Amino acid sequence: MTDGRSAASNKGMPLVRIVTDQVPCECNVKEDADAGIRAAMPDIIEALTKPLSAEEQAPKKKDRGTPSRIAFKGQMDEFDRFFYKRGWGDGLPLRPPTEAAVREMLTGTDLPPEHVVGKIVPRNGKASVEKIAVNAVMAGALPTHMPILIACAEALADPRAHLGAYGTSTGSWMPFWIVNGPVRNDARVNCGSGAMSPGDIANAAIGRTMGLIVKNVGGARKAIEDMGVYGNPGKYSCVAGENEEMSPWEPLHVEQGLARDESAVTLFFPNCYSQIWQYGSDDKGILATLIYNLPPGRSGLTCLLMTPTQAKTLAQKGWTKPMIRKYVYEYGRVPAYRHPSFHDGGGWTGRNPETIPPNAMDSAAIVPSPDHIRILVLGGPGAFMGLACGGGLPGGQFVTKKINLPSGWSKLVAKYKSLVPAYERY
Amino acid sequence: MNTNAEIRGTEYEVLSPWADADPVPLRGITPRPADLAGKKVGLFSNRKRAALLTLGAVERELLERFPTAQTSWYECSTINTPEMLTEGKAKFEAWVASVDAVVLSVAD
Repeated sequence: MTDGRSAASNKGMPLVRIVTDQVPCECNVKEDADAGIRAAMPDIIEALTKPLSAEEQAPKKKDRGTPSRIAFKGQMDEFDRFFYKRGWGDGLPLRPPTEAAVREMLTGTDLPPEHVVGKIVPRNGKASVEKIAVNAVMAGALPTHMPILIACAEALADPRAHLGAYGTSTGSWMPFWIVNGPVRNDARVNCGSGAMSPGDIANAAIGRTMGLIVKNVGGARKAIEDMGVYGNPGKYSCVAGENEEMSPWEPLHVEQGLARDESAVTLFFPNCYSQIWQYGSDDKGILATLIYNLPPGRSGLTCLLMTPTQAKTLAQKGWTKPMIRKYVYEYGRVPAYRHPSFHDGGGWTGRNPETIPPNAMDSAAIVPSPDHIRILVLGGPGAFMGLACGGGLPGGQFVTKKINLPSGWSKLVAKYKSLVPAYERY
Repeated sequence: MNTNAEIRGTEYEVLSPWADADPVPLRGITPRPADLAGKKVGLFSNRKRAALLTLGAVERELLERFPTAQTSWYECSTINTPEMLTEGKAKFEAWVASVDAVVLSVAD
């Protein structure tokens, strides 16, 4: 109901008549659908025939006044509570985006604060450089993260990323941000041991900032527009760099069309990230781990996560990234009865007939094509592999945006260079 | 970064994280027929499985109550995307023009 009302308002029709019925929105039991609709029929008929009120004919804009640039004046603890109650937080403490803090954040870009990087759905909020900086301060990001965050905002605004669907979907998809190029080291994006764990400002704060931007700029709020059934801890932050120095292959951003010495961020929306004990440390064992652990209920963009050691093992046996993609597509299969297409599309209707296997024991590919697969080399030593599996919206792609560094970048990097944890031995 | 003076000070003045958005022109909803008898009711499916079931039930109930009514189905061309932004726009507009009322089912 709330997401329907919000979606209608965003399209300029706030008073669309909405009837809530007692049929679960995912129902595929005919008797339940029939009973729920029968009970709702008087309301449906009324919605179709009741004369329009004056407001329904010509809805009036609610005057909310001009949003103030200054949101709050007061004490620190009051600030945090105020922002939380306004729905601008993510549940963790926020840093106050004071004028001075935002000004310092803006040293990470040459773009003017009012420059709009893109409009973020569903609300089509303007991701101005200043709004990105405000949310970055709140999330604890550093000015050296600003160039990455601006590219991230561009990626969110790119329709090929399908934020409008993934950011609000019941599937609780999380934005997975992959950072490539020299900026990884400058901004200290972890791509080694525990890259996906908490503990690095860049990996934590870049993802957190983008989560706040999805909410505060895009307007996707939990259980209002974002109807994720279970939610996803990855929405706090899911950021990693590719360990390009240890990889035997071209890095991801080069595969995506950029030069090796450029920096880039790549976005896609998995709704899980699983780690699997490898079936063997040779090439056969590594590939078997991947093809036998693909989840058939996902069938979309898929990122294969492997360590530098696993990548080197494959490369030494002659495997290239394109070969691995083709192999995983070709042999990542299940019997048709385990595939959603065999079960009326697993919730979708109108699937292309060529994707529907005729017999239960026919072999069905899990990933739609080799181009739905990317390979990311990262992590530390160990026997685990990773799979980040995303949705299969038509036209969905891994979206890569070049990161543009500001003038004086080296000085800025030097300023924050010493900001690293120094763990004591115990 | 916050200066020490700011942190020690009694008051913060903080900027809003909430973005501006261009105003969307508001539109009224379509006038309703007084009665569904003899009318054509459009059934719009968002292409998720439950939409077919619920709209099928709506169709049966409608035709039972209004035997002279007709129905016309439309299934969105791209899942989770406003139809007006897809290649189905022209077909969709023609379909909307051909019906007297529409029931849209948002299912999962």
